[in-house]
Amino acid sequence: MTISPSGDQDAGARLRELEATLDAITDYAIIRLDPAGDVAGWSRSAEILKGYTADEVVGRPMSMFYTDDDQAAGLPQRELAAARETGRSVFQGWRVRKGGERFWASSILTPIRDVDGAVNGFAKIVQDITVGRRTETLFNGVLESAPDAMLIVGSDGRIVLANRQVDRLFGFDRDELIGQEVEILVPPRFRKRHPGHRIGFFTQPQVRPMGVGLELYGLRRDGSEFPVEISLSPLETDEGMFAVAAIRDATQRRATEQRLQRQRDEILELSTPVIQVWDKVLALPLIGTLDTVRAARLTEGLLNEIADTQAEVVILDISGVPTIDTQVAQHLLRTVQAAALMGTVSIMSGVRPETAQSMVHLGIDLGPLYSRNTLRDALQLALALLAERAGAAATTLTRQERP
Amino acid sequence: MSDDVVPIMRIGDTLLVTLQGDLDDATVIRIEEQLTQEVVRTHAGGMLIDVSGLSVVDSFIARVLARVVGMVRLLGASAAIVGIQPAVAITLVELGVPMGHLDTALNAEQGLALLRRLRQDSTRAK
Repeated sequence: MTISPSGDQDAGARLRELEATLDAITDYAIIRLDPAGDVAGWSRSAEILKGYTADEVVGRPMSMFYTDDDQAAGLPQRELAAARETGRSVFQGWRVRKGGERFWASSILTPIRDVDGAVNGFAKIVQDITVGRRTETLFNGVLESAPDAMLIVGSDGRIVLANRQVDRLFGFDRDELIGQEVEILVPPRFRKRHPGHRIGFFTQPQVRPMGVGLELYGLRRDGSEFPVEISLSPLETDEGMFAVAAIRDATQRRATEQRLQRQRDEILELSTPVIQVWDKVLALPLIGTLDTVRAARLTEGLLNEIADTQAEVVILDISGVPTIDTQVAQHLLRTVQAAALMGTVSIMSGVRPETAQSMVHLGIDLGPLYSRNTLRDALQLALALLAERAGAAATTLTRQERP
Repeated sequence: MSDDVVPIMRIGDTLLVTLQGDLDDATVIRIEEQLTQEVVRTHAGGMLIDVSGLSVVDSFIARVLARVVGMVRLLGASAAIVGIQPAVAITLVELGVPMGHLDTALNAEQGLALLRRLRQDSTRAK
């Protein structure tokens, strides 16, 4: 908006040109005020924004555009005073159009000085930013009403924004957190490693849970810790990349999981019972599918029982196992081998015709393992083995009766 | 040389050897010397090696045991390992340490019975 200083235009023409330029601006209302704050000049854009014509407002105080509350609070006077003192007064707030409709305004008030430096009026630029404010309000509303604690963290690791749930969860006041490094919420023992993970996220930003497979903990203001679950997502803005962290208290879930694990352990315990059926003879009825965890527990339980009872023979009854595949056979074989190392003989019982067929077809070789069809037969064999062992020293005849 | 590395107890014509503590290469050599000489000196017919005092039995120890048993057999005596603990047995099976050719028993008493059987078997085989 430069005015040509060339002499062939008279002052009136220049003024008209200036007015035309001002009227061409529509997004900003431009208002001139006299030193007392009454309207002295009214642009077309002001007319569009506020709804009043120049005739209706010129000579009246600018406070007429303020809400009743703001008027009562003396806001117009304060703005004028601030502009007079600092040379500029910036403000955001509700303003009133003709007819009473409100809009969210952003205004800048600057004093106009005469050649002597005395304030002989003000220029005011007003913009309607209701739409932008609505987006911001929605954004803040979403953030505030989210069920999870939400943190927005800059790439430098500093907290930019936190919602109400963060206060509640961590016991901090939000103002204490803004600008702090996010590590303030991380227990000291994990603090050293955290910046590395953080930087990792910013080099490969993607929506993902934090610390998959790890148990994460948050640190409250009072120094106590609590289990958390954290989801991360990147937020790209004009100001750069941010990380959005949604944090959930996992105390309850972690407790439920632990209870489930305990129950699972108890069931495992119950499902691998070792029975002493005879002096120096143990029986282990296997029921259900043998997975790796169960097999390991079974082996351990059996060997400890062997150590306790000094049993010389163990009967593994597999009639309750639905299928014997290569994996189950492998587990059985290991149990038998471990028992053999301790000096105990194993007998497998409960082998059904179809089991025998499939085991041979699958090429499962259990090595030199005694096997019987029924538990009764197996027990008979066990007693025979015991008798042979005990009687070996007394007479050599028993050897010929060996199975 | 003359000082004993491991305690040896004599039950009839059987020697009961108790292994304890950490076994390093040097100790193992001395144990092998002591045991072979003792078998010859006492004309022992069998040897039981008690490993219940060893908390760790890895593949190294397993090889040592196999070696000692091999030496004792060459001297005409039978040998067996007794007292392998549950945890040790599981570890050995999981590591896949081959020990199937070794004779084992739960305790010394059952070990003696095992040695008797082994001796009968070998006399019949000849």
